[in-house]
Amino acid sequence: MRRNFLKICGLAGLGLAMPFGWPVAARAKDEDGAYGGPYYVVFNASGGWDTTYLMDPKGINEINRLYQEGDILTRGAHKYAPTAKHHQGGMSNEDFYSEFGDELLVLNGLDYSVNNHSPGARYMATGKLDSMAYPTFAALVAACQGPTCPISYLTFGNYSATGNLVAMSRVPYIPSLQRIANADSIEGNAKSPFHDSFALDRIEQALADQNAARTQEPRLPRLERAENMLYAAQVNSKALQRVTAYIPSSIPKERLSQQAEIALASFKAGVCVSANLTIGQFDSHANNDTDQMKLIPEFLAGIAYVIRRAEELKIRDQLVVIVQSEMGRTPTYNKGNGKDHWSIGSIMFLGRGIKGNRVIGATDEKQFHVPIDPQTLACDKEKGIRVRPEHIHAALREFAGIANHPFSKKFPLGVVEKENLQGLWG
Amino acid sequence: MTLGIRTVACSLATLLVIVASTVGDETNPNSRSGCAAAADRFFVDEVWAKVGAQSCLKCHKTGGDAEDSKFVLQDPQRSQGTAQAEALRHNRDEFAKMARVKEGEQFRMLLKATGGLDHGGEAALKADSTGYRILSDFVRRVNAPQPGKPLTEIVTDDKNAIPFFDGVVMLDDRRLLRRATLSLAGRLPTEAELAAVASQGLKSLPALVEAVMQEDAFYARLREGFNDIFLTVGYDDGAESALSYDHFSETRHWTQKHDLNHIEDEKARQQARYKLADNYRAALLGEPMKLIEHIVRNDRPFTEIVTADYIMVTPYTARGYGIYDDLKPTFKNPDDPFEYVPVKLKALVGRNRNEDQESATSFYPHAGLLSSFQYLRRYPTTETNRNRLRARMYFLHFLGIDALELAARVSDAAAVSAKYEIPTMQASECVVCHKTIDPVAGLFQDYYKFEGVYGRRKEGWYKDMFGPGLEGEDMPSEDRWRSLQWLGERTARDPRFAVAMVEHVYYILTGRKVLLAPKEIDDPLFSAKRRAYAEQRCQIDAIAARFAQNEFNLKRVFQDWIVSDFYRADGLATVATNSARRAELDDIGLVRMLAPEQVERKVGAIFGEPWGRLNDQLAMLYGGIDSKEVTERAADPSGAMGAIQRMLANDVACKQTVRDFMREPAERRLFPGIEPSVVPGASPEGDLAIRRVIVHLHERILGRHDAADSPDVERTVQLFAGIVSDAQMQKGIEPREIYNCRREMPNVPADPQYTIRAWRGVVTYLLRRPEFLYE
Repeated sequence: MRRNFLKICGLAGLGLAMPFGWPVAARAKDEDGAYGGPYYVVFNASGGWDTTYLMDPKGINEINRLYQEGDILTRGAHKYAPTAKHHQGGMSNEDFYSEFGDELLVLNGLDYSVNNHSPGARYMATGKLDSMAYPTFAALVAACQGPTCPISYLTFGNYSATGNLVAMSRVPYIPSLQRIANADSIEGNAKSPFHDSFALDRIEQALADQNAARTQEPRLPRLERAENMLYAAQVNSKALQRVTAYIPSSIPKERLSQQAEIALASFKAGVCVSANLTIGQFDSHANNDTDQMKLIPEFLAGIAYVIRRAEELKIRDQLVVIVQSEMGRTPTYNKGNGKDHWSIGSIMFLGRGIKGNRVIGATDEKQFHVPIDPQTLACDKEKGIRVRPEHIHAALREFAGIANHPFSKKFPLGVVEKENLQGLWG
Repeated sequence: MTLGIRTVACSLATLLVIVASTVGDETNPNSRSGCAAAADRFFVDEVWAKVGAQSCLKCHKTGGDAEDSKFVLQDPQRSQGTAQAEALRHNRDEFAKMARVKEGEQFRMLLKATGGLDHGGEAALKADSTGYRILSDFVRRVNAPQPGKPLTEIVTDDKNAIPFFDGVVMLDDRRLLRRATLSLAGRLPTEAELAAVASQGLKSLPALVEAVMQEDAFYARLREGFNDIFLTVGYDDGAESALSYDHFSETRHWTQKHDLNHIEDEKARQQARYKLADNYRAALLGEPMKLIEHIVRNDRPFTEIVTADYIMVTPYTARGYGIYDDLKPTFKNPDDPFEYVPVKLKALVGRNRNEDQESATSFYPHAGLLSSFQYLRRYPTTETNRNRLRARMYFLHFLGIDALELAARVSDAAAVSAKYEIPTMQASECVVCHKTIDPVAGLFQDYYKFEGVYGRRKEGWYKDMFGPGLEGEDMPSEDRWRSLQWLGERTARDPRFAVAMVEHVYYILTGRKVLLAPKEIDDPLFSAKRRAYAEQRCQIDAIAARFAQNEFNLKRVFQDWIVSDFYRADGLATVATNSARRAELDDIGLVRMLAPEQVERKVGAIFGEPWGRLNDQLAMLYGGIDSKEVTERAADPSGAMGAIQRMLANDVACKQTVRDFMREPAERRLFPGIEPSVVPGASPEGDLAIRRVIVHLHERILGRHDAADSPDVERTVQLFAGIVSDAQMQKGIEPREIYNCRREMPNVPADPQYTIRAWRGVVTYLLRRPEFLYE
């Protein structure tokens, strides 16, 4: 059936043909068509995180009230803010860096370019500021690498546009997965099918024949896309049966952990390529330190949860983690002890194919951006460039082996060759 | 940070040739005449579309950051008809005038555009860009005109261009009627409606649609559709939070104290109280959309959504406002939680005098949705946001402009923030947007309470923001107490209001937003995409003009869209292989995946009862919204949604197939004229009956009118026959339906030939097809 679908999609011009030059791992599938990785997880600190309380510590010029410059901690190449004494729940920076610092790649001094949530979130998610049409990286990589996965692109919020390349899946609750896993059975009980197998086979064949017949008819482009996506969604949905084995018996309490369990079960079952995990409320215009000391540890704990659970599920070696926010926070406190929007910030990566224990780029003592030489990745105030989201996305596309995929080419980022970040991934 | 200015493509295409009579042709709702007749294509298609509208207009206009410069353009979108054409003529003249000015050996316009001569907007174009090349070309043409020709190249309408909808097959009138009744009222067409269409064709549609729009089901859909846009049911902290503690502390929680002592049983009393509270909350949440219903149902001008000097209340919500006793005689049924009536509130009285609302009339200064507690709660303010979210939503909801749609890249936003004391008033990169947003934010200044709604800022309104007003017009200080009314009055007069409402109706009917003007001027398909945009824009403008001429009766907008080519387009006569033509047609065709609520209604219309399971979590999984965190419906089906479609098809077929066979033959919805005893291949009459039923099922479930010998019917016949045949070869097959499909039904007929289950397979198959799941 799947082979049949691919044939139909090819005929219909959905662009699902595998391009040359793809990394072998990017096409990893087992015999029953399950997607085998890499799995991309994008963590979003929605609202704008205070990077000076995490990976870009300052402690000077009254940028931080909870610590001074001398309190800044190090782990290998990393410098990070001390939070063990202040965090409210979750995971302190000290614990996070201790456990993951060796794997962690940090880029500081990223120029978000805008100070507003909506365009900032769009820009960070897609690499394109001035278009509403571009897909997020998570959607793009899902469309390129897992077009037949039933829930190829999972999202739990934040900017989630797909560019019409792939359907987005929202699975808000873990029990929801169970309910839809055996759709051809009464109340999801696999032992009680609605139809005898011969009847169901006939139904599926009739649908396949009907869909094939439609490909021979002239159709409006929009109808053509819709009919192909609908047919694919129904055919591919059968693979959801595999998820049931990985649905946890107990549901974690934490927001990110709940999202993580849905994503990890889907990864493990081979039905998902990417997931957009999000927690909000980082927009700390009032009482910045209180809010950030609650949210950053919660965020880090969520990241740790995903990695540890991936280890238990034996898929950690296929996990790629991207940790981001749509903006930073000002180097000064406002009258309400909050911090407002700041267009300079950071992004973090870890996982498969990423060399850790590295910090690229910097901000200066006033939290302004320091230019980076894209060839050497060293800070260079004279000849460096402002690293912006499009540079990150160009590098991510290259990293994922999809830079030359027709879908990527449909949404060019406009980064000139000499500005490509050479060796970002190590 | 630019204000998203939509290019007025219709005007582009009609520049200098349009006359008033071609706009909003009263006699032809589908008229887009004149839109294709362009006279000055170089300026229109190149200079204006690719440079002027995208790079200059945001500052060089009245109210813009460069309004004091010598190069002031007009926003054509703020006018209609000949005035719109005049605006473009003015712009072309301004461009031409500026193109002649030289600085030494170089042209001032080109220097300015690339950031020279201290251009306030810095480099609007790069010297090696397509935009710069176009502008250079324009300057060259202006300064070296060819004898006997106007300033810029005159090219009359492209005679080689095929009509936009050429080769596009339109839905036939019967199917169009079915699409309309299902969409607007969640039901199938009646026999009388079908007869009217059969005898009178398309011209009967407006009257039929008008009648549909009298039905209650239409108003449920209307409320649902507009909530998808305004999201007013999605405010936080519970429904009662719309009524502030400061002003309604004694009444807003009336359900907690309401006398229910007539219910003796304590548990029953508690349940009754829960129900009372649930209904009260639902009624409160429903008020804004009921205002929309009231306006449309009573053919009132839709401008009242920003000008109405009343709100809608029910006996329950009236108690929350503390006005029930006064209003009681007004209600037909004072016990009905959902009987809404219009009412004008008195000015709010606070617990303390400084919380009293100022009012020159002693009434609350209602301004439709703008001043409704629910709308203000849904888009709250913060100390740093300073009502800017509300201003942004105002532009988006009522003028169709997304201020953050295409934010301008700031060369160094952090440095700008640090350099200026008040960047939003001093840094040109910030001013370009804040000069428009902040005055409107200032109009909401009396609604600054973080908890609740009404309440003025203790220190007075911010001085480090542009003062209250609207796009260059300051609000007189004496109007401050009624500032939202002041805003609403201007909004109602703004041509963009009508356009925005037409776009909203398009969204409700199609599930997607109107096209944005293409921005990538180097895209090889730019022209094709711009033509698609321009054609749609022409239709929108034409409907908007008629809407305004018809005293803003929103029903006319629904009628006009439904008979438009955009709504009726259904297929192609031949395969479109040319990439440019495919790009032109890319968005054509309704092709809307039904939302969970619509699927349920469609199941109800076809089978007599909804599935009943596409709600709560399953609805969210099927792409629904909660109006809070999830605010956009899924446009395409994921595998998870594909699984739900299978569930639905299996379950609905299971419930409805045998049930229909148990009805009297004359009452059957699905299987008229056939019994389970009829097996395929047994007799010619039997085979004919099977085929007739399948034709009927295709029509009822799919809305298709297939010939009995069509390939599609044949495929379904083969499915039915194949299942029956396969069953006969199986051993140990039960001679009756499975338990789950016959439970709670007495005297279910046996199924020795497996025909009932085969028919169930047919229904399952049809319910999984796009014609059922899409609109």
